[in-house]
Amino acid sequence: MQMSYLAALGHYIPELIVCITMVGLLVLEATYSKDEHGRGLLYSGAMIGLFIAFCVSAGSLTDLPLPIFTNSVVIDPFSGFLKCIMILGTMGAIYLSSQSKDIYNNLKAEFVIMATGVLMGGMLLASANNMLILYLGIETLSILSYALASFRKTDERSSEAGLKYALYGGVSAGIMLFGMSHIFGVLGTIQFSEIGPVLNNLTATQLSILIPSFLMFFAGLGYKLACAPFHMWTPDVYEGSPLPVTAFFAIVPKMAALGALTRVTFVFFQEPGLLQESWVGIMQVIAALTMTVGNVGAIGQRSVKRMLAYSSIGHAGMMIMGVVVINEVGARAILFYGSTYLFMTLVAFLITSFVNDKYGNDHFERFNGFIYRYPMMAIAMALVMFSLAGVPPLSGFVAKFNILSAVVEKKYYMLALIGGLNSVVSLYYYLKIVRLMVFKESESSEKIEGLGFMNQAIVVALTVPVVLLGIFWSKLIVLAESAKILIQ
Amino acid sequence: MHGTSTLLNWILWTPFIGVVGVILLPYLFSKDKQDNVVRWWSLLNTIGSMILAVVLYMKFDTSVPGMQEQFAVNIAWIKQFNIFYSLGVDGISLPMIMLAALLFFLCILSSWTITKSVKGYFALFLMLQGTVYGVFLALDFFLFYVYWEVMLLPMFFLIGIWGGENREYAAVKFFLYTFFGSILMLVGIIALYYASGKGVDSFNILALSGGKFIDNQVHMFGTVWSFSKVFFWAMFIGFAIKVPVFPFHTWLPHAHVQAPTAVSVILAGVLLKMGTYGFLRIAYPIFPQASVQFADWIAVLGLINVIYGALCAMAQTDVKKLVAYSSVSHMGFVMLGLAAMTVHGMNGAVLQMFNHGTSTAMMFLLIGILYERSHHRWIVRPDGTKGFGGLYTQLPKYSIVFIIAMFASMGLPGLSGFISEALIFLGIYQKYTTITVLALFGLLIGAAYLLWMFKRMFFGEVIEECKSYTDMNAREIFYMAPLCVAVIVFGIYPTPVLDIMKSSVGQLVSLLAQFQ
Repeated sequence: MQMSYLAALGHYIPELIVCITMVGLLVLEATYSKDEHGRGLLYSGAMIGLFIAFCVSAGSLTDLPLPIFTNSVVIDPFSGFLKCIMILGTMGAIYLSSQSKDIYNNLKAEFVIMATGVLMGGMLLASANNMLILYLGIETLSILSYALASFRKTDERSSEAGLKYALYGGVSAGIMLFGMSHIFGVLGTIQFSEIGPVLNNLTATQLSILIPSFLMFFAGLGYKLACAPFHMWTPDVYEGSPLPVTAFFAIVPKMAALGALTRVTFVFFQEPGLLQESWVGIMQVIAALTMTVGNVGAIGQRSVKRMLAYSSIGHAGMMIMGVVVINEVGARAILFYGSTYLFMTLVAFLITSFVNDKYGNDHFERFNGFIYRYPMMAIAMALVMFSLAGVPPLSGFVAKFNILSAVVEKKYYMLALIGGLNSVVSLYYYLKIVRLMVFKESESSEKIEGLGFMNQAIVVALTVPVVLLGIFWSKLIVLAESAKILIQ
Repeated sequence: MHGTSTLLNWILWTPFIGVVGVILLPYLFSKDKQDNVVRWWSLLNTIGSMILAVVLYMKFDTSVPGMQEQFAVNIAWIKQFNIFYSLGVDGISLPMIMLAALLFFLCILSSWTITKSVKGYFALFLMLQGTVYGVFLALDFFLFYVYWEVMLLPMFFLIGIWGGENREYAAVKFFLYTFFGSILMLVGIIALYYASGKGVDSFNILALSGGKFIDNQVHMFGTVWSFSKVFFWAMFIGFAIKVPVFPFHTWLPHAHVQAPTAVSVILAGVLLKMGTYGFLRIAYPIFPQASVQFADWIAVLGLINVIYGALCAMAQTDVKKLVAYSSVSHMGFVMLGLAAMTVHGMNGAVLQMFNHGTSTAMMFLLIGILYERSHHRWIVRPDGTKGFGGLYTQLPKYSIVFIIAMFASMGLPGLSGFISEALIFLGIYQKYTTITVLALFGLLIGAAYLLWMFKRMFFGEVIEECKSYTDMNAREIFYMAPLCVAVIVFGIYPTPVLDIMKSSVGQLVSLLAQFQ
């Protein structure tokens, strides 16, 4: 189905709005002085732009799926849903950055612009329909991320984070390209839509080349997704980056890479056979490893930010379980998981950020007796922690329930069991923070400036969906179910 | 007969209304009155709860086996997964509801002396009550699981905030252990959902029952396993941790010793029964053939519980820990009754669940009363000196109630424990003669540690410290009295409780008999 580029652009409005927002912000930043007022203008501009993009994206969820730009980009409800999550995540991270002291005032504008750029890359990645666009998306996403990671110029750890991120990223992108070129060599196409038929008649030699090439291809995505064994960079990068950047990394690139991974898996491995079997086997191991590495790593952490970073690896592993099953139940579970994970992560990082700004570090002990000082915040944090661990009736439980049921439906009982046991492990460190907040005496009674009425209200507002989606999740699951992937 | 169908809703939601009241009501009163407002409101709430439970009892038709149609509630919750909000009551859950209603009321009275964040305490306590009802009433497996898990939250905070010195460790251990068990159960729930074809009944506990999954298989580790065996064990571990069955019992002594009195009472009196209730409601009916097959294991584990729990109790120097281990031992009898799978054994097991609820609640309440005076619980202090001595002459009223509680717990004829244990032995003797004989030794050890404890604490010279203790006050007598009555009345005339349960238990036994 061919359509003119102009007509195609009509289906590409959310991305265009994000682009325009980014350019507009650049102009704004250059024009206005970098005082409080100028920044206010910039933030409102970014928020308005992203909000419009969100509305358009959400509004077109029910539209018919459509490949555009000579089939290189596909606009389907699945990618639309992911884009909504990513836009909301970016908005959250931008708000967080406006409140955080972790980003120097003179760099706040840059953060907003770069985050919007990363979002752009993420949106491209989520709807990429051929390997080059996919690569383009990953690179757009990555290059700006390297800069974001090294945002605290004077901090050694931040520079280290940026460098590490860039080195790892460069290497894995190279490996990925290498893998892609082999896949192209074997299949003769880079279009996802043309790959399906080609896969049906392959010789044994071709198959033996394809599997390692897929692994190399996967290395690039896996690196973005921070799944084991490509997770080595995460702790340092997450630790060194300023807190809003970490929150951003934990949501947007992850969801984008997950979307791409799901699509790729659907394209290449939907047909039962040797190819699918080996892939499922490999992905099962990767999912199990990722969860375990993330959750076991989180146990020993002193810093809450680092704990959350490790736990985000664990959650990525959980979501990969939804990819392993290669069906719509899995895709639905991923979308549900992503939307609840978004709210939980934002609340956790928001509260941690305010504590971090006040005390200069975010060690667990800083949360001692939090409930006696900021009861609402402590309750919100506790709810989010329980939800992340998967305790009903919170939305995190429902998300895990969905993922586990997708896995059990395919009868991968061992994987489901490992996933479940990982929840138990994660409960241990999530409980640690609840324990300190509630059972310990308060260390100081000083006010935390960040936690004014406005910010508290925002935290509470973000916590409401965490609870409500755990009880009334019928609507969201219908929405996630209708968000089908188009393979064409 | 659908006229009274809102009754179960009222029972379930009354405590949650109570929670809302505890949070909001104090704002209407001045600061110095707020604590008492919370206390009285909670008390009224639990009285209301008790009245509802009595109404349920009056309307209950003892001749009907299985779920009582006239109370059924069934509303779609999540249509995509066929999850329902469905409640029901039968002869096995009704005694548990009655027990919970009574104990929560008494515990509110016994918690009158709590002064640390009163509002939070009573709110969590009522929330706990609601979730306990939820577990006993839920007929939808998903709903059951949700209540089963939510119950951990109030428990975690109740132990962790109002508990003893080592409370944090105990709270975390309790939470993690139970959560671990629940996860296994969750995988089982989902597996059952798919095995039964994702239909309207796929989360319905009753519809899943009857041994439908005999031919299903599980492929794991390159071998083929029987579906029902694998998931019977998944459920088994989930419930066994709650009971607690050896070797999953290690959380219990910590949780009990650290928990405040009322929470210990609920823990031993009601929460442990949720484990055995799980066997009766879920593991047995859904996997009858696996249950029959593994009955020997259950019996052996029950025996270990009886003997090991009793021996551990004997070694304790902390009186609360002693009673905690005695619970392990007594729950072992319930497991033995369950393993028997005969009418007598099962009836005995359910009756023992009820009777142990009352007698162990008495023990814990009494220890709480003593603790409020002494601020320690050592029978023998770590340095070897006596912790208590000659209480009998100092606290005569207290001692009499203690004697009743102790003998009930020991299983002395004429008191409630005897009947249920006798029924269990009657039921199990023919099937497991050796185990019965060995379990009788458990009774003997039980008598030994209780009497030994009693001797050390209540007889002998009055030690200096004990001279200042005052006897039970009116409030304490008031909340001990109903339990004393229950223990004595059900010891002489257990028919009311047996009448409620017998047709439901009979139905379960005949289901199991098909697979013997």
